[in-house]
Amino acid sequence: MTTSGRRMTNGASPDRRHHVQSLLMRESLLDKQVMTASETPVVRMLPDCHVIKVGGRSILDGGKATTYPLVAAIGAALAEHRLIIGTGGGVRSRHVFSIGIDLGLPTGVLAQLAIADALGNAHMLGTLLAPYGVVASPPELFGHLLPLFVQAVPGIIFNGDPPFSLWEHPPGIGRIPSHRTDAGAYLLAECFGCATITLIKDVDGLYDRDPKQHPNAAFIPEITVAELRERALPTLPFDRVLLDLLERARLVKRFQIVNGLKPHLLAAALGGEHVGTIVRKDAAAIGPQSPVPFPPISDIARSAIWDEGKGRSGVA
Amino acid sequence: MQEQLLTQLGRALVEGSLTDEALLAETATQPVVSILPDANVVKIGGQSFIDRGRAAVFPLLDELVENLPRHKLIIGTGAGTRARHAYSVGLDLGMPTGVLSILGTFVSMQNARMLHYLLAKHGIPFIEPAQFPQLPLYLEERRAAIFFGMPPYIYWQPNPAVGRIPPNRTDTGAYLVSEVFGTRSMIYVKDEDGLYTADPKKDPAARFIPRISVSELEALDLDDVVVERSVLELMKTAQQRRSIQIINGLKPGNLTRALAGEPVGTIIES
Repeated sequence: MTTSGRRMTNGASPDRRHHVQSLLMRESLLDKQVMTASETPVVRMLPDCHVIKVGGRSILDGGKATTYPLVAAIGAALAEHRLIIGTGGGVRSRHVFSIGIDLGLPTGVLAQLAIADALGNAHMLGTLLAPYGVVASPPELFGHLLPLFVQAVPGIIFNGDPPFSLWEHPPGIGRIPSHRTDAGAYLLAECFGCATITLIKDVDGLYDRDPKQHPNAAFIPEITVAELRERALPTLPFDRVLLDLLERARLVKRFQIVNGLKPHLLAAALGGEHVGTIVRKDAAAIGPQSPVPFPPISDIARSAIWDEGKGRSGVA
Repeated sequence: MQEQLLTQLGRALVEGSLTDEALLAETATQPVVSILPDANVVKIGGQSFIDRGRAAVFPLLDELVENLPRHKLIIGTGAGTRARHAYSVGLDLGMPTGVLSILGTFVSMQNARMLHYLLAKHGIPFIEPAQFPQLPLYLEERRAAIFFGMPPYIYWQPNPAVGRIPPNRTDTGAYLVSEVFGTRSMIYVKDEDGLYTADPKKDPAARFIPRISVSELEALDLDDVVVERSVLELMKTAQQRRSIQIINGLKPGNLTRALAGEPVGTIIES
């Protein structure tokens, strides 16, 4: 594709719009064929970092008994791994949803309200992890300063929520925002191309029924998005929208659900071991880390990137 | 949390799973409140409108101002040709969708700032997402406010099914403002009369479609549609905004008629 700014045109074109020369110039971004042409390799910004999401209701709402042992495990893991830690909103989010719904507030407002609960949990977990050098970042700065933070500190905490807020999508059923903290942590891992994402809950992973209500529920150690859709399980231990997001993964093609009540499993999960349930994009998405699809930038530079005659960079 | 402080729904939400469809269905029993029921969201296209410069923009702004005594306007801006340039350079450099989303945000913000300065003498503010709590005041006092159309998803922009271009762009951001505030209308100002069976800029045989449902539109399986596909997706599950209108802002009077509720352009409904 042509990327050279040097061939920028600035005058009005025959269709009387002022265009800038580019691959997508004059094209409708709504055109299916144009979209297919934009399927190109992606850079991994933070390939050495791991994202973990600590459940709100499942871990933090349990107080000292469930949180302290996990904090110790996270603290130990920080000696070996750079961690980006998201938190859930837990019971307070559930409560504000119920009040907000009773008052007739739309989904976008509920999403905006829930951010405060996860942020409160991020600050509590941040306080407990402060002795290990972990910082809790305000969400406005978090994304932009992330590469700085991961160089400067062993771990950083954010509220797991994506910044959708008022712009949350109306869900298919009911009013509850569909992009909650599991989704926010996943989207962050995918955009930054992190090594792994682990969702820390209070169950061993995925079961065919809710194991808290059905002691005979069967454990599912590993499953693909297509298989999960096929089974149409009544409940899941993670945000259902994760299936849609994982289906469209380019870099982070799997996540693992790990039981945070067994804190020793965290180190194993970060080391790439299978200690909970692994949900995969598809059968091809195996291994602890998908191969990096983007060639090293030094290689690209050698491939005559500035050759005007070719008009493209040589990146297939 | 004390039991007596929780409603029945509150207890169910605190104890149950938010992935349980039966529980989720219970959350829709109360009607949604319309937060700004007499405001209109007007989205002004980037490539289709603002990039045309003075010839297109000045008459439209005059028409917007003429309508202020009758209508409250929440004015969103598209991105346009500079976003396309940034996306194509960014794609070549291997940028992920979330970074492309940030680039698109910058361009729609430039467009919002330009329209803002042109409308400043009428006291109309430009608001960023963090300033949306002031929107009701501005609408009451000044009758209008300008915002950039991109939804503030930045690094959290979900990937598209195909390619890498952010699937939720300025049409979607404006639509979601209309949806969450329960506004009176959602009007897209573009440079075409509305929806055609093909891109009328490229195919002279393209036929005009004055009114269509989302399901009919999907059945047509057009290669190119006039509004972002994610808007059509969202309309299917919308709680409030079930119709949108696409008008040709190059034709004087169209915006006034659309604000008055007349069917100019194409109306898409779910």
